[in-house]
Amino acid sequence: MPDLSVDLAPNNPRELRLANPVIAASGCFGYGLEYSNVIDVQRLGAFVSKGITPKPRAGNPMPRIAETPAGMLNAIGLQNPGIRGFIKKYPPIWAGWRVPALVNISAETVEDFATMAALLDEQPGIAGIEVNISCPNIAAGGYCFGWDPDMSAEVTRAVRAATTLPLVVKLSPGAIDIASVAVAVEEAGADAISLINTLVGMAIDVKARRPTLANLTGGLSGPAIKPIAVRMVYQVAAAVTIPIVGMGGITTLDDALEFFMVGASAIQMGTAIFVTPSAPLALIDDLAAWMEREGVSRLDEIVGVAHPARPGQRRRDLEPETAIAAG
Amino acid sequence: MVELDLDLDVSAEATANVARAREFASEIVAVEPVMGDSVLLTLTAPEGMAAQVRAGQFLDILCRGETSLDPLIRRPYSIYRANARDGTLVLLVRPYGRASHWLVARQPGDALDVLGPLGNQFTVAPRSRNLLLVAGGVGAAPLVMLADEAVARGLSVTYLMGAAGAAGLLPPGQLPSAVEYVVATDDGSQGHHGFVTDLVPGYVRWADQIFACGPEPMFRSLRQVLLGQRIGGKPAVQISVERTMACGLGACLGCVVETRRGMQTSCVQGPVFDMDEVIW
Repeated sequence: MPDLSVDLAPNNPRELRLANPVIAASGCFGYGLEYSNVIDVQRLGAFVSKGITPKPRAGNPMPRIAETPAGMLNAIGLQNPGIRGFIKKYPPIWAGWRVPALVNISAETVEDFATMAALLDEQPGIAGIEVNISCPNIAAGGYCFGWDPDMSAEVTRAVRAATTLPLVVKLSPGAIDIASVAVAVEEAGADAISLINTLVGMAIDVKARRPTLANLTGGLSGPAIKPIAVRMVYQVAAAVTIPIVGMGGITTLDDALEFFMVGASAIQMGTAIFVTPSAPLALIDDLAAWMEREGVSRLDEIVGVAHPARPGQRRRDLEPETAIAAG
Repeated sequence: MVELDLDLDVSAEATANVARAREFASEIVAVEPVMGDSVLLTLTAPEGMAAQVRAGQFLDILCRGETSLDPLIRRPYSIYRANARDGTLVLLVRPYGRASHWLVARQPGDALDVLGPLGNQFTVAPRSRNLLLVAGGVGAAPLVMLADEAVARGLSVTYLMGAAGAAGLLPPGQLPSAVEYVVATDDGSQGHHGFVTDLVPGYVRWADQIFACGPEPMFRSLRQVLLGQRIGGKPAVQISVERTMACGLGACLGCVVETRRGMQTSCVQGPVFDMDEVIW
């Protein structure tokens, strides 16, 4: 039996050890409970909660979803019960679960990020925090934290100072130079990096002659964004040494292998779970069978194998020029 | 800000005597044209499911072949009829978008990837004797199943149906014979010339409960004709709404309906809502 386990926080004494590298992505798995009657949630490597904000949010008006070719746009608007409502309800349930639960947090100020992290620090049933830096920074006039290395680092530092929990910082694909953001959050104390969040898109209802989503724009996810995500993981893998969690349109084993081979140590599945709730469990089985067949005994044997800058010798100067030219 | 009620009632869903939602491979056993360009698809279901599903629940269907990624997301279809005897479930599908066009082109023997049954159900109060059902177009589906259930329990059912023209109406033979079936058409080709909701006031005093399913304008019209007709909210009105959905399990919050109790998911807390609770 090949070893599928992975530690996503090797530099953190609290560790973030997963039995396998398949994680259900934030926003696509609710709080885990929604899927617990349909699949064996405990078999997942981990899951990430829906995005939690300092105060309760009712979310955006409807319609919130638009299907696009091999993808979908969503503009849910972070509907959630707020950090205090969340803490009352979910951590006590998760404390009885075997599967590691990560909490995804979003805020519009650095202070709010830190306050939420501090509140989560001593809660039961929480294996780590995923920091969503794809939110507008009020102090910067609504400019997205994750588009700027310095602002991304500032959030990471503040959250790091507020908790010793394993910290995964989720990068925004809207960053001008995603590798610089990755380096900045690594230096600011992130235990791992996850990417990519959705890409901002739009769809028009031609019959009604207006945008399909009430919010006008939404986040694009699904197979349509996979090549962009693979490219960005490739760029980030050349720039940092902390573990990378890759995501963006992963549906099949081959999709996941692409991410591992450019440097991801784990992957997240999102939209594919909407389509097929058991998809992540099938992926775990497929991955184990593939490793057996290919004579791969440990996952890290394949992490980065398709990368010119192989693990241990990752250097920024090896970042592919083609990506820069295409950008 | 709206008062948030984000209780998921997952435990309540699990303990109720309803079929557990699951992914299953189904086979189409019959395709029958109905209501003009629509079809009735009869599907196999896991053992015991047909006896456990309830009127108002729906199936989430993957409307593409295994080698395609498009259309990506499943489509919800209300269960039209459940045949406990042979264990099959029936869906009513009207070709509208790409997914439904793919679905109406299926043949007997074809396989379908199904997630379900999902959603809540119509609730008939223990004291109710007379049920008024109001259907618009393919909104007929969950109300056929409700008529089946109600007649089996000895209740009186009047089924009002509206369509653009006579060809779009449900054939009377599709309903149990004990049901009083009254129709309306926009073009006057059959029954009342006008909206189905025009017929409602004549039944308000008779009905203990009203159940409706159809397009959004029909609900608006129903609310309009009922203004001043009901006393103390009686008869109560339950409506089955349609929203674009992604997960079908209450996780993505893409299909919410704004209600007096906060944002509610139409996939788990719906698709059936008390009309008076919905904020329009």
